[in-house]
Amino acid sequence: MEILANVMLGFEVALQPANLFFCFMGVLIGTLVGVLPGLGPVAAMSLLLPTTFHLSPVSAIIMLSGIYYGAMYGGSTTSILVNIPGEAASVVTCLDGYQMARKGRAGAALGIAAFGSFIAGTLSIVGLMLLAPMLAEVALKFGPPEYFCLMLLGLVIVTFLAGSSMPKALLMAAFGLFLGLIGMDIMTATPRFTFDMYFLMDGVGLVPVVMGLFGVSEVLLNVESTIKREIFETKIKGLLPNRKDWRDSTWPIIRGSVVGFFLGILPGGGAVISSFVSYGMEKKLSRHPEKFGTGVIEGVAGPESANNAAAGGAFIPLMTLGIPANAVMAMLLGALTIYGMQPGPMLIKQHPDLFWGVVTSMYIGNIMLLVLNLPLIGIWVKILKIPYEVLFPLILLFCLIGVFSLNNNVGEIGLMLFFGGVGYFMKKFNYEAAPLVLAMVLGPMMENALRQSLIMANGSAAIFFTRPISLAVALLVLILLVLPMLPWVKKKREVIAEIVE
Amino acid sequence: MKNNDQRSSLVWLVIGLSIALYSGKYGLGTFSIPGPGFLPFVSGAAMVLLSLIVFFQQFSKGRADTLKSLWTRTRWQTVLMVMASLVLYAVLLRALGFILDTFVLTAFLLRVMEPLSWKKVLAGATGATLGSYAIFELWLEAQLPAGLLGF
Repeated sequence: MEILANVMLGFEVALQPANLFFCFMGVLIGTLVGVLPGLGPVAAMSLLLPTTFHLSPVSAIIMLSGIYYGAMYGGSTTSILVNIPGEAASVVTCLDGYQMARKGRAGAALGIAAFGSFIAGTLSIVGLMLLAPMLAEVALKFGPPEYFCLMLLGLVIVTFLAGSSMPKALLMAAFGLFLGLIGMDIMTATPRFTFDMYFLMDGVGLVPVVMGLFGVSEVLLNVESTIKREIFETKIKGLLPNRKDWRDSTWPIIRGSVVGFFLGILPGGGAVISSFVSYGMEKKLSRHPEKFGTGVIEGVAGPESANNAAAGGAFIPLMTLGIPANAVMAMLLGALTIYGMQPGPMLIKQHPDLFWGVVTSMYIGNIMLLVLNLPLIGIWVKILKIPYEVLFPLILLFCLIGVFSLNNNVGEIGLMLFFGGVGYFMKKFNYEAAPLVLAMVLGPMMENALRQSLIMANGSAAIFFTRPISLAVALLVLILLVLPMLPWVKKKREVIAEIVE
Repeated sequence: MKNNDQRSSLVWLVIGLSIALYSGKYGLGTFSIPGPGFLPFVSGAAMVLLSLIVFFQQFSKGRADTLKSLWTRTRWQTVLMVMASLVLYAVLLRALGFILDTFVLTAFLLRVMEPLSWKKVLAGATGATLGSYAIFELWLEAQLPAGLLGF
């Protein structure tokens, strides 16, 4: 019954006119960046972060979350119509979605993607409602040593699940950790690696780094590629999947939701991985696996449900432990701290309106997305047709002004451009940016947890191995680091890496 | 040098090494009371170790490729021009002011990929400048620099 009261509270918050408006803005912008290749949810959220400073924290988080799950919706549109994934999470949707479009079934593909996303989004919100408060209860027992080990585990899982080689991903995490430590050391007030640049005193800003790595660098790569996009020119008709489509898709949607939700909880690329896992699973379970890749609807319904469910699951570590699971959640963590809220096990208790309001707003947002994506699909297709040479100056302009308006500081633009260049080379040489961003956010938190743990133990590092929970987590970290060296795991990982490429 | 993973790993090796060495300046502390330089040192050292792993891994696996192969059939000149124009924009922002600086930048960017007609470029640059000015200065009150034109 307590849950029911909480849900009522949530709807009360989410249905306030202002919050409805910002929810709508969020999913609208999310769909837009999902549709536009080369501008993802992370860049869009960092772009809009400064504009949310004068909103209430609840409205701001509602809008920022809307961008995230809205982008998951929008990404499928480009996959199906153009064979270019708008988001990494909808890469697999290209396989069967585009083939369906070529067979004249674009409508059914778009329709099942939207309905599947809606159902999965809804199921994962229910999961979030049930699981998050329970986990938060458990997390109350955690002290600094447990947190330190958990954050370490998060980083290792991210690199373990990374598509490319694990050493390269770990390398990026180490570099990100260093970036997070730049600035004033809280304990001793020593400015570290600031080189007398005043704007680095507070640390390297998350927004300029993220916009550089995910916004500017993406534009640079698109500008140099000579590939022309071709939009599939057919009349899209019949958005409603027929009865046979539904029969074929029901189980893939349900399985995709469950898989997506639980993989989403794990740190690192939850949405991306879960869409691949769901596709693989449907192919294995199917009575006609040979038809996958030729335009079967299960190949769209499963992965599209999985990536949306994962978006919901990803909120759990942030809302219960205060540890972000991916770059998007790192942005939300940054936002919460700016508004003076400490994400962690107390968040749900201290700010019930925030947690339940945001969760129920996701439900409302899912309904809005259904309306935005099905009847208004024509508008999104038109936007897709804007040529890139007209689009990219606007994207760059928004990045420039957005970063500048953070603190009215030209130095931050410089920082963004620097990381734009770094990100460009990282993509060229196949280094992933996600572990870097995550480690950068976790860096200062890890340092604090480490110091507090050592103070608790009078300077003995044994504390990490004498407390049962932190010992278990530490062992898990070790296992994950050793596992990729075993031959059969190595093979499996290489197969996954090949699919991702 | 066998491939680009090896080449890039050497760059990270140098960066990691500099971080680790420079951290000493801030004081590493002892293991029981870590100083301000402790964790930066650990991250730098980890980078050194990992870049060495990447480097030596490539001998047994990985295909050979050249640095040049990353930029064949790309318009890398465009990337350079775009990047240069963005840096110039940042440098001149205070002096020229938002409106003038932004107008010049967008006009340049609109020409750099595909030469659009000048009429379209002018219309696009004017629209983008005034539109962003309206959003950020008038609506969000971002206090963009006035510069030469005085507003």
